[in-house]
Amino acid sequence: MASLRPLSRGPFLLLLIFFVFSLSLLRPIQGNGGSDGGGGGEEFSEELLLKPLPDRKVLAHFHFRSAAPPSAANGRHHHLFPKAIAQLVQKFQIRELELSFTQGRWNYERWGGSDPISTRNAKPPGVELWALFDLPTEEIDPTWKNLTHALSGLFCASINFLESPTAYSSPYWGFLSNNGNLRYGALPREAVCTENLTPWLKILPCRDKAGIASLLYRPSIYKGYYHSQRLRLLSSESKGIILEQTLTVVLQPNSYTSSLLSSSDAQLQPSWSLSQLFKKEMTGKCVLAKSSKIFLELERGLLEKIVEIRDDSWSNSFFDLFPSPDREIKELENSNGQVGSSLYEYKVDNSNENKPLDVGITWKLPLVWSSVHAPFQASRFLMGSGNERGSIAISLQSTQTHDQYFGDLNDCTVPVIVLQVVPWYVKVYYHTLQISIDGKPQTLSDVIEKIQVTPSEDKLLPGTLEIMLRFPCSMLSATLSLDFDKGFLHIDEYPPDANQGFDIPSALVTFPNIYSSRSYPDYDVSDDSSLLHNLQEKYLVRSYTEVLLVPLTTPDFSMPYNVITFTCTVLALYFGSLLNVLRRRIGEEERLLAKKDSARPGLVPLLFSRLSSKLKGRKLLLKVVFVALVAVVWHYFLNSS
Amino acid sequence: MAIDRRRPKPSRRSHFVIRETLLLLFLLLICAPSPSSSSSSSSSSMHNNNWAVLVCTSRFWFNYRHMANTLSLYRTVKRLGIPDERIILMLADDMACNARNTYPAQVFNNENHQLNLYGDNVEVDYRGYEVTVENFLRVLTGRHDSAVPRSKRLLSDEGSHILLYMTGHGGDEFLKFQDSEELQSHDLADVVKQMKEKNRFKELLIMVDTCQAATLFSQLNSPGVLAIGSSMKGENSYSHHLDSDIGVSVVDRFTFYTLTFFEKLNMYSNASLNSLFASYNPTLLMSTAYYRTDLYERPLNEDRSCSSYEWLKVLQDRLADEKSDTIVMYGLGTMILLLTVSTWLST
Repeated sequence: MASLRPLSRGPFLLLLIFFVFSLSLLRPIQGNGGSDGGGGGEEFSEELLLKPLPDRKVLAHFHFRSAAPPSAANGRHHHLFPKAIAQLVQKFQIRELELSFTQGRWNYERWGGSDPISTRNAKPPGVELWALFDLPTEEIDPTWKNLTHALSGLFCASINFLESPTAYSSPYWGFLSNNGNLRYGALPREAVCTENLTPWLKILPCRDKAGIASLLYRPSIYKGYYHSQRLRLLSSESKGIILEQTLTVVLQPNSYTSSLLSSSDAQLQPSWSLSQLFKKEMTGKCVLAKSSKIFLELERGLLEKIVEIRDDSWSNSFFDLFPSPDREIKELENSNGQVGSSLYEYKVDNSNENKPLDVGITWKLPLVWSSVHAPFQASRFLMGSGNERGSIAISLQSTQTHDQYFGDLNDCTVPVIVLQVVPWYVKVYYHTLQISIDGKPQTLSDVIEKIQVTPSEDKLLPGTLEIMLRFPCSMLSATLSLDFDKGFLHIDEYPPDANQGFDIPSALVTFPNIYSSRSYPDYDVSDDSSLLHNLQEKYLVRSYTEVLLVPLTTPDFSMPYNVITFTCTVLALYFGSLLNVLRRRIGEEERLLAKKDSARPGLVPLLFSRLSSKLKGRKLLLKVVFVALVAVVWHYFLNSS
Repeated sequence: MAIDRRRPKPSRRSHFVIRETLLLLFLLLICAPSPSSSSSSSSSSMHNNNWAVLVCTSRFWFNYRHMANTLSLYRTVKRLGIPDERIILMLADDMACNARNTYPAQVFNNENHQLNLYGDNVEVDYRGYEVTVENFLRVLTGRHDSAVPRSKRLLSDEGSHILLYMTGHGGDEFLKFQDSEELQSHDLADVVKQMKEKNRFKELLIMVDTCQAATLFSQLNSPGVLAIGSSMKGENSYSHHLDSDIGVSVVDRFTFYTLTFFEKLNMYSNASLNSLFASYNPTLLMSTAYYRTDLYERPLNEDRSCSSYEWLKVLQDRLADEKSDTIVMYGLGTMILLLTVSTWLST
């Protein structure tokens, strides 16, 4: 009995310990579904904003946000935040980074220039990368090089071409105010395709299998007029790492009903829906997302045209939004009493496979409206012809929106910052800068408030121009022009398709006093929508100009072979004739023969001399023959007698 | 008389027995190498991973078919089990999102447009201007700058089987890269030799689909290399058909017929390289597919265990591509064997 008791107690104790242990293990697993505590407070949210554009197109803006809280330890477990990005931030000591892949040009006239979406998501074509580092100045350049290589491997793009100092610049105040730790580079000719989107989506917790990212039908995206995928990183000691990924697409919905009304100036806008644009419907949110919402925005210009506004303004005589939105979020009216834009919210949580969510708009009556513009429309072009020199001109056209931005037109001036980075083979002469306002040339000191030039060095540095100008508000147009000379490249430096030309990356025009932000009084922090939070952030209005294509002189790349052949022929001809002239004597043989002919003897003495010469030469033979004859004669005579 | 003949029989019988056992031993020796070859061919390493390096060297829209060739191989190789991490894909131009492509983000290798080669999940390691002879040689030899990320490196070891596929425009002993530089047969041979010295592969299969592809292999002399070219010296490799929708030819003949062969396979099939060679028809290809097996040590019927059925298959495969006198030799050998056996049995 005594022996049995410990035996019975032992297994029971073991069982109890095992049970308690398993409970403690299971608890964190149950808690991981939400955002409370599992993995250290990481969160993920996804949002989609749809907006009809005035020129019969649709803007779709996908917004994904991941946040990782600060952690003291070097290595940590991530359960939502992508480890590759966290390692990138830690290895290269990045404070802020933005990488964008864009194809197409953002049409500022038609799609808007001063609303938060266009100012943040209108990017220059190709790849643009800028980064702020938390490192001493001398370490930044090698870190930038390693960063470009790491990003090129991560995103399947040739970002590694930004590694050399000829490709990037460090603007002082033209881009962002910084203390020397900013590096900015752009590759205008980089192609953007599915291979860039694939790793970008693999960073998301649900990838493209569930949630809003499952809508991304690749042919639809790449058929659009503009698509731009952007990755933005913010890292700080207090807030941890915040990763924002956005994809902005401008699509043309195919609608056959648009040809019904044939009046030329007011055609019916095409009706569209998610299933029509992306060939898919929302069948549920990403379970790892804290919030998953779709917003449909009707901008201020559109709402102003709608005279009748009933209670449910999403259904009126002009259009119908379907399905009925869960909530309407109105922007605060501006100081002029004009009505603000509206956001209609749809929660994706309620949808599943049996009840998919298909957001759309049906147009009933034609409507024409215009988007909000920046005060000036920036564009850039080349002047001049030939392969030796040319000029770059940046023009700013007023968009007649003075009442929106400026109060009293008489006394006000608007500051404008222009940043332009030009590669070294376009040698800009900064002393030829000319500014003219409304066609009249101005003295530079009147207009320029601040200017910083980093001149280009051949094969070493690009030329950077940062200039702050002050224009009168009532001006209609202004033009800046700069002359340049075209440089020569070494034959190895030409790309394989050199005859296409060379690109000058987009210039950036910023309006330092004008912010694009909205305020939504209905929104409070508990809504927890990072997109709305972004829309309310103060962000400077900026616009990018076009990329310029400069034709440079290109050599005939087949010439080396031709040159060798021609050169060798010429040398052969030269040396051949030279040696001929030096060594050959013409007419020498004839002179010799002529000398011999003049002294010619008679026939008999000739024969005699020939014979005697023969005989002289053959004494031995003569002797032998003579002796033989004597012997024969003696023998004959002896025998005969 | 019969008794007289029978007297020396015991010695003759033992003689026959000896001869028969010798023949049996000889047969066993034929079978014996195959199991041992499954463990090692040139070194004592085991095959433990597969890599693929797929290179398209042509740029410009009218070379769409080269991109389609490479992407078809990429899709096939992924389908048959090699993951993206072990594929190095080098595309010299962007066709899918090219402004001239009426089907954006889609690349087809057939005018029926049934299969979108680009799909949703493609990862290109070297793009555009990065596809140069220098980068190609760096990938193969592994001599990179320290900043180059892992996804752009060929991290193979002595147990790797590597497929190297190159397509583009080529000629006598060279292959053109992006219309501005050439890779010569000497360079390729040198690189393969370096790879062998550094034990970067166990077996290497090089497939080249260009004009006069066979000349690119003329300088190879490293063991463990198998080379397949789409045409011989003096012959061109032709495209298969034109797609009037896209406006250019969409696939080359050699790749088309290679894909036809591979489409019948899945991850678990056990096809042999001989069947691949046998599937090439010179009339359809409009060129002679050339393969170089002299540097390859294993028999081309992959490794098999030595059952009698397999031995017959060995014989069958050997007979399939060897000349008639060797057939006669084999026939005579078996005849002699049968004769000895029958005489022994009849005594």
